[in-house]
Amino acid sequence: MKTISNSFVIADSSKCIGCKVCEVVCFTVHNENNNVIATVGTVTTPIIPRLNVIKGENFVVPIQCRHCDDAPCANVCPVRAIKQVNNTIVINENDCIGCKTCLMACPVGAIDLLPQYDNGEEVIQLNLKQEGENGLEETGRNIAYKCDLCKESGKPACVNACPQKALTLVNISTEKKSRNKAAALSLLQTFKK
Amino acid sequence: MSINIVNIDKELCTGCRRCAEVCPVNAIEGEEGKTQTINSDRCVICGQCVQICSVYASNFQDDITPIDVKKDERGMLESIKEPIFAAYNIGQAKLVKEALANPNLYKLVQCAPAVRVALAEEFGLPLGSLTPGKMAAALRSLNFDRIYDTNFAADLTIMEEGSELIKRVTEGGTLPMFTSCCPAWVKFAEQEYPELLNHLSSCKSPQQMGGAMIKTYGAKIDDIDPAKIFSVSVMPCTCKKFECDRPEMTDSGYKDVDVVLTTRELAQLIKDMGIDFKNLPDEEFDSALGNYTGAGTIFGVTGGVMEAALRTGYELITKEPIPNIDLEFIRGNEGVRTAVVKVGNLELKVAMVSGLKNVVPLLEDVKKGKCDFHFIEVMTCPEGCVSGGGQPKLLLEECRPIAYKARKAATYEHDSKLELRKSHENPDIVKLYDEFLGEPLGHKSHHLLHTKYVSRKE
Repeated sequence: MKTISNSFVIADSSKCIGCKVCEVVCFTVHNENNNVIATVGTVTTPIIPRLNVIKGENFVVPIQCRHCDDAPCANVCPVRAIKQVNNTIVINENDCIGCKTCLMACPVGAIDLLPQYDNGEEVIQLNLKQEGENGLEETGRNIAYKCDLCKESGKPACVNACPQKALTLVNISTEKKSRNKAAALSLLQTFKK
Repeated sequence: MSINIVNIDKELCTGCRRCAEVCPVNAIEGEEGKTQTINSDRCVICGQCVQICSVYASNFQDDITPIDVKKDERGMLESIKEPIFAAYNIGQAKLVKEALANPNLYKLVQCAPAVRVALAEEFGLPLGSLTPGKMAAALRSLNFDRIYDTNFAADLTIMEEGSELIKRVTEGGTLPMFTSCCPAWVKFAEQEYPELLNHLSSCKSPQQMGGAMIKTYGAKIDDIDPAKIFSVSVMPCTCKKFECDRPEMTDSGYKDVDVVLTTRELAQLIKDMGIDFKNLPDEEFDSALGNYTGAGTIFGVTGGVMEAALRTGYELITKEPIPNIDLEFIRGNEGVRTAVVKVGNLELKVAMVSGLKNVVPLLEDVKKGKCDFHFIEVMTCPEGCVSGGGQPKLLLEECRPIAYKARKAATYEHDSKLELRKSHENPDIVKLYDEFLGEPLGHKSHHLLHTKYVSRKE
């Protein structure tokens, strides 16, 4: 029996200014294997963040994985590449076949299908080739990307990096308790003589 | 200027206005959430906006101009894969690449003090790595004919500016005297306080003194026609591109500095030419205009110009060496620092300003006749040039104070390990005056190493 719900990061749209620092930081901390060190000059691959800042007429806010307790993505993955590890839903990028079923299943659009990189280069398909100008050419692997709550370090980088403190790591039981308490206190006020 | 050096890409800007927060002159205009524009009459081209902008162009966005086209518009080399952001500066790396392949040009280069403590970061080395030897080696691999150095020119600036200060102090000249090596500060003074321009030192910046020397003395000693010289400077600064284009910077008879590249652009050029920077063995600078003292190298940090000036000024006035070379009380961070330095019978009141906003109260005092400092160093960027608009751009804000601290520490470390630490002890400086310039503030110096300023107020 699972007693603790998965944590997740959520954004406060009233605080978000659309600066994309969260996206840059997310990419940076996930790309040590691509020689990304401290400066923009060390980046040789496209920036692939695991959360996306969505901008509309009157709003801007990042959207990312909710680490659903009954994750549809994990439940539909035909190669079992998506699993629950501690209290996080994690995609095994090497097992991923790029079938996009998880992408279609996710109700918030947290998953993106994008090229895989290693050591600054695109990871190439073993055998699958594509038609090019000069015949059959190598083609890169595309894999599913989503927020993994920075499982390597255990501390979501986006939360600390946001200049407006718009992102929070939600602990369900703490959140529920604090709201219950606030509700109880307000009831107390209502019934005071 | 028909083309602006620092710009905001309308297609990319999300209107977060983090740039506006760091702009020292409130030049960035626009509503929150809407694309921002830079008011070029106010902009001092310091590039702090370029450093902080986090809105990058995604390779997977298909509703904007292709990234390759944008890179070309910005003057970036095609082979460079690093991401581009909304706030950017235009570049001249392609121009330099072409010149380097041109056998009819004699290509000379100078690098600013702050470049050698940050360049290596672009190749994955730790923040603040000190690599002057690799920098010189890379420049030689790039096919530059002479590797000169702005630090030498900084030593030269101290000779001229130190003498100028002493003259003003002893002969009742205009005081306080302000340093003039920071071109964004100079542009700001010209725009907002033209009535105080006579307070600025008449000295050119080290970059421009270096440029003037390269096309006169440099041409002479190598027996080269100065018309064939292509003089490049590598700077941590975006405003230096504006400075080299100033119409009056042609005292050599030619454009004294042809092109300025930022630290980032030099790294890009090195990568484009396939040079393995990390594994380069250390090389030396070329003598005549390339050897420098510790005083020259500390120009890259806030307080450095002042400390260098005092190390020489003290001796010029008292005829005694300064008791302590390391003037810790001059060093520090963003803001205004003041000190009183006893130089013989003189009590020299000095101030160091970093962060351009912080100079305004001092200027207002000067206007009211209430400012009793003798000498004021002004740097636009927060910690001096090591935090300049052209320096390697940091991916994580939390690294910013770490990077600045490391670059500053590397600068002082470099100074402390050098054999010579006072500008007037540089034998090549002595030689330059003996063979060519005569004496500081002399006729030739006046013509080649000093300049005038222009009011830009409407």
